[in-house]
Amino acid sequence: MSGAGFAAPHVDYAATAPIIALTVGLVVILMSGVFETTKRWAPGLAVMTLAATAGLLLWHWNDQIDLIAGALRVDNLAISISLIAIVSAFSTILLSIRERAAEEAGQGEYYALLIGSVLGMVLLSEAENLVTFFVAIETLSIPLYILCATNLRREGSLESGLKYLIVGSLGSATLLYGMAFIYGGTGSTDFAGIAHGIQANGMLHDPLILIGIALAAVGLAFKTSIAPFHQWTPDVYQGAPTPITNFMAVATKAAAFAVFVRFFVVALGPETGDWQLGLAILAAISIVVGNVGAIGQDSLKRLLGYSGVAQAGYMLGGIVVASEKGLSSLVFYLAAYLFMNLAAFAVIVARERETPYGDDIRGVRGLMAERPSLAWPLTISMLALAGLPATAGFIGKLYLIEALVEGSYTWLAVFIAVGTMISLAYYLRVVAAMWMGGEETAAGTSAAPGATPVISGASPEADPVDPEAGRRWYLLAPAVIAAGITVFLGVIPQPLVDFATHAGSSLF
Amino acid sequence: MEAVIFFIAAIGAVGGAIGVVAARNPFYSVLALIAHLFSLAVLFLLLTSAFVAAAQVVVYAGAVMVLYVFVVAYVGSAQEAKWDPVPGQRLFAGLLAFFLFVEISAAVLSSGLRALSTHGPDVPAGFGDPAAIGNLLLEKFLVPFEASSVLLLIAAVGAIVLAGRKRQGEALGASK
Repeated sequence: MSGAGFAAPHVDYAATAPIIALTVGLVVILMSGVFETTKRWAPGLAVMTLAATAGLLLWHWNDQIDLIAGALRVDNLAISISLIAIVSAFSTILLSIRERAAEEAGQGEYYALLIGSVLGMVLLSEAENLVTFFVAIETLSIPLYILCATNLRREGSLESGLKYLIVGSLGSATLLYGMAFIYGGTGSTDFAGIAHGIQANGMLHDPLILIGIALAAVGLAFKTSIAPFHQWTPDVYQGAPTPITNFMAVATKAAAFAVFVRFFVVALGPETGDWQLGLAILAAISIVVGNVGAIGQDSLKRLLGYSGVAQAGYMLGGIVVASEKGLSSLVFYLAAYLFMNLAAFAVIVARERETPYGDDIRGVRGLMAERPSLAWPLTISMLALAGLPATAGFIGKLYLIEALVEGSYTWLAVFIAVGTMISLAYYLRVVAAMWMGGEETAAGTSAAPGATPVISGASPEADPVDPEAGRRWYLLAPAVIAAGITVFLGVIPQPLVDFATHAGSSLF
Repeated sequence: MEAVIFFIAAIGAVGGAIGVVAARNPFYSVLALIAHLFSLAVLFLLLTSAFVAAAQVVVYAGAVMVLYVFVVAYVGSAQEAKWDPVPGQRLFAGLLAFFLFVEISAAVLSSGLRALSTHGPDVPAGFGDPAAIGNLLLEKFLVPFEASSVLLLIAAVGAIVLAGRKRQGEALGASK
C-alpha cells in the first residue's frame, strides 16, 4: 500500500509564522464581525494582524529558506514585496474609515476579505511551485472581486466586481493553460525543477514550452494590467470603492510582478533569450496605450487606471533585462509607486466625500485655494508619477532606464522617456485644475449645491457628503505622509536603494 | 482496444463541447456539458488516473452540473440578444479561436517530447490512485492544500457578503 510510505514534510514554523499570523488574524476578524460590540474592532484587529505579519517578515530579512517541500521560499524579494502589500493594506484600512462600502459589506467581512487578499499576496511572492503559485493568485484575486462589488448603492461597483471576476478568471485560465504546457514539457511543478527539466529533457526552444511561456505571460499580464490585456483596468478602478482601488493598484501589481519575475527568472531562466523580446514588446505597447489612453480622462480614478497601465509597462522593463539591477529597480519603483499612488488616492477619497462630483476632475478644481493641505499631496503625487526630479518617481525611472541601457534594451528606455513626456499632458492637467480655476470656473460648470449632477459612475446619494472629510486625520495623514516620503526618497533615495538592492540580490 | 475507447471518448468530448456552445436551449447546453465531462472522465481513466476520473464524475458531472441545472431552471431561458453586442465580434472570436488552435497544434506536433507518438510512459503501480494523491496533498503540496481551505473560507464569506447585499437592497425597497 503506498499510503504506508507517508512522511510528513518538515514545517519550519518560524519561517511560516507570517502566513500563520495572517490566517489567524483573518479568522479572528471574521469572528469579531459576529457581535455588535466587537464589530468596531475589525479595523483595529486588521492593523494588528498586519503589524504582526510585518514584524515576523522583517525577522527573516536576509534569510534564504525553502519551506515545506519547496512550496515557498522566504527571501528578500518575497519579504520586500510582502511589506509593500502590507503597507498598502494598512493605508487602505485608514482610507476605509467611514467608507460606505465597509459598512455595507459588514466590518468583519470587509476587513477579513482584505486580510485574505494580503495572505494571497504574501503566498504569491513566496511561491516557488506552480501549484502554490496558482492557489495563491486565486487567494489574492477572489477577495478583490468581492471587495470591488461592496459599494452596494453604486451600480458601477457591482459592474466593476463582475467585470473583474470575468476578466480575472479568463486571465487565471490562460495562466493555468500555460502552466499545464510547461509542466507537460518539463515534468516538474517546482520552479527549480522546471529549469532543470528544460535542460535535461532537451526542451530548450521547444514549441511546447514556448507556447506555455506565452500563455503564462498573457495570464500574468492580465493580473498586472499590461496592455493589450488592460481593458478591464479603468472600468474596475472607477467602479470599485476608492480605498479598494488604492489597494488593487499597488499591492496586486507588486505581488503579481514578484511572482512574474521569480517564475520567469528561476523557472524559465534557460529560456531567457526567448521571452525577453516578447515582454519588451508588451512593455512598449503598455507604455504607449496607457499614456495615450489617460489623456482626456475626466474621472481621476480612470486616469490613474490608465496611468497604472503605463506604469506597469515601465516596471515590466525591470523584468525584461533579467538582471539583478533590473530586479532592484523594479522593487524600487514598486515601493515608490506605493507612496505616489497613496497620496493621490487619499485626496480622491477626501474629495469624493466632500464634493458631489465623485472622482471627477471637477472635484479638485480650485483645491489649492480651498484646501492646500490636500492640494499639495496631489500635486506632488502627479509630478512624481510623471517623473519630475526631486521625487521618488524620477529616481525610480532613472534606475529602470539605467538597468535597461545596461541590459542593452536602450530602445525600451527611449519608450519610457517618451512615455513620460506624453504623461505630462494629463498629470499636469490635474495640477492645473487644482492651482487655477477657482470658484468662478466651478460655479460655471456645476449645478447648485444639493442638486444632482449627472456624472457617470458617481451618484451623489451613494456617497454622503462629509464637508470636513479633507480635515480628517485618517485621510489627511496618509496623503501628507505619502507625499512627504515621495519627496524625501526623491532627495535622499539611499534607504530605499539599499532596500531594493537587497531584494534584487535574492534571485541573481 | 485502448485506441478505440480513446477515439470514442475524444469524439464525445469534442462533440459535447460543440453542443454546449451550439445549442440554443440552455438545458441542451447543460446536457451536452455533462456528455463532455463524462467523456473527459473516460480519457482520464485511459491515462490511469482513476481518482481524477472519479472526482470528475462526482464533482463536475454530479454536483456542479446540478447547480447549473438549478440556475438554468431558476433564471429560465430568457430571450437572449440575437445581435452581436460588438459588431463583428463573432467573426473576430472565431478567427482568434482558429489561430489559437493552429498555434497549439503546431506546438504539440513539432514538440520534441519523446513519448508523444508512442503508447505513453510506463507508470509505476499505484500511480494516480487515491492513496498516492492523498500522500501528495499532505506531503509535497501541503501548502497549496491548506491555502485552498482558506480560499474556500474566503469564497464562502464573499458569497455571504454578496447575498447580504440583495437582502439589504430588498429592505431598502420595502422601506421606500
